[in-house]
Amino acid sequence: MSKNKKFMFVLAPAAAIGLALLAPAAASAADSTSYQATLDALNGSGGSGTFMIEVNGTQATITEHVTGLADKFGGNAYPHVQHIHIGAKGQCPTTAADANKDGVISTTEGASFYGGIGTTLSTSGDTSPAAGLTLTVAPTGGSFDYSRTTTLDSKTLDALKGGTAVVVVHGLDPATLSGTAQGEKSDLVPALPLAATSPALCGAVKASQMTTMPNGAAGTGGGSTAGVQDEALLGAGGALLVAGAVAGGLALRRRNAATN
Amino acid sequence: MSSHEQHRRRVRIPLVALAVLLVIVGAVALTIGLRGQRHAPQPTAAAAVPFSTSGSTTASSAASSPTSSPTSPTASPASATLAPSGSTTHPPGSVSPSGSARTSSAPQKTRIAPKSTAPVPTLPAATITGPILPAAAPTRLQIPSIGVDSNLLQLGINADRTVEVPPLSKDSRAGWYRFSPTPGQLGPSVILGHVDSKEFGPGVFFELGALKPGETLTVDRADHTAAVFRVDRVVSYPKNRFPTLEVYGNTDHAGLRLITCGGQFDFAAGSYESNIVAYASLVSSHPA
Repeated sequence: MSKNKKFMFVLAPAAAIGLALLAPAAASAADSTSYQATLDALNGSGGSGTFMIEVNGTQATITEHVTGLADKFGGNAYPHVQHIHIGAKGQCPTTAADANKDGVISTTEGASFYGGIGTTLSTSGDTSPAAGLTLTVAPTGGSFDYSRTTTLDSKTLDALKGGTAVVVVHGLDPATLSGTAQGEKSDLVPALPLAATSPALCGAVKASQMTTMPNGAAGTGGGSTAGVQDEALLGAGGALLVAGAVAGGLALRRRNAATN
Repeated sequence: MSSHEQHRRRVRIPLVALAVLLVIVGAVALTIGLRGQRHAPQPTAAAAVPFSTSGSTTASSAASSPTSSPTSPTASPASATLAPSGSTTHPPGSVSPSGSARTSSAPQKTRIAPKSTAPVPTLPAATITGPILPAAAPTRLQIPSIGVDSNLLQLGINADRTVEVPPLSKDSRAGWYRFSPTPGQLGPSVILGHVDSKEFGPGVFFELGALKPGETLTVDRADHTAAVFRVDRVVSYPKNRFPTLEVYGNTDHAGLRLITCGGQFDFAAGSYESNIVAYASLVSSHPA
């Protein structure tokens, strides 16, 4: 280490000059823009999540992690429809949005804060607002990792750039609602209870402070110090000890033989 | 008889001497070998615990059986449009070899260091805590408490969108991820270094896990300012549950993340199972 460090000091000026030359080593994604959102619980869902979207032209790569939402609905894995909402303040609703005072901010009640559906974050197929309530392509369960590469329309792209895009994940556990709210029908799909379509997570999408946000972990180790080091030295030492013991034993035997 | 005994004695003495010599040399070799074992320090267990933004824990309290659900949502009348419309799959991170980073073009000619007090807020109306510096590429990292002094490489991003790491070489150096803010700017500036390499032994960030909150480090920048950061916390994350937004997400201050590898080494995969991340915040700056 100390030898390496001295070596580094010697190399420092040369390397500093070389720095500029090294710069374009892996130039990708320079034209893309990263956005992010921290998803917080709405309507007491108890959930949380993170949302990242990398936009390159009209192409978007979305990575989302959600945890702590309602897990089952009617015995099946809970489908949580989710969208990028656009066209309003670009904010998550406060309790003031609960116009009918039933204790639940319904999707329509929250719309004055986050607007309407711009893009449906479906697991496959259509990502337009038309797919907004298609439960069969909604991610399911209380916790899920969602990732998808898709094309965004100009309205959603503009909302991202303008800071008015909001990610909303829907679907509450009916048992957690007030008695009044438990008896109500969904404002969007009357055949469903209010809980099924109401917002559970919300996060305003912000431009990342990074030009391009990397994915996950970094490979910063080769493993030389992980296992046994200096195997040769240890092996030689062990062999010498054994040889010494054998020689000692031999000497003892000879002495014993001699005294007998 | 006597000549016979004398002969035996003559043989015995060198044999005993040889035995002693072998044992001594062997013991010395073992001692040196064992003392030479170096393992990278890990953050304390307490520091390694917090893990909020990720992990595949299922909802504990929430609704294992929603009792009052007259209709199953799967039986909904909602239109089940499955038409594969505009969702073309496109390989992420398609490389555009020409594009050079807009952050990497540091103003090398500026001779006078800008006053460190001038804040440059890049996010409107966001509350910023602590000092902020204008953009300038980092050139050197010094962490006296763990013996780090490295001039800095510039690192990009791999095709799979993971962050590029410095080359495994004899003079292990740290590198700044050039798509992150420069150290001192608002946001999470990222500097990576190897803990070790298979061929060359301990790397520049070998001791990173021993860094303690409150200790300071200095980043020299191309605008001839030295940005002084204080360590907030040092955390170990399993790589398969790396909290991307926690580490790379937006901050309300000029932050720095020093990243290396740690935890158990997976010999089959040839990589460590964890990342050690040291979080630091800008506290001051002065002319370099």
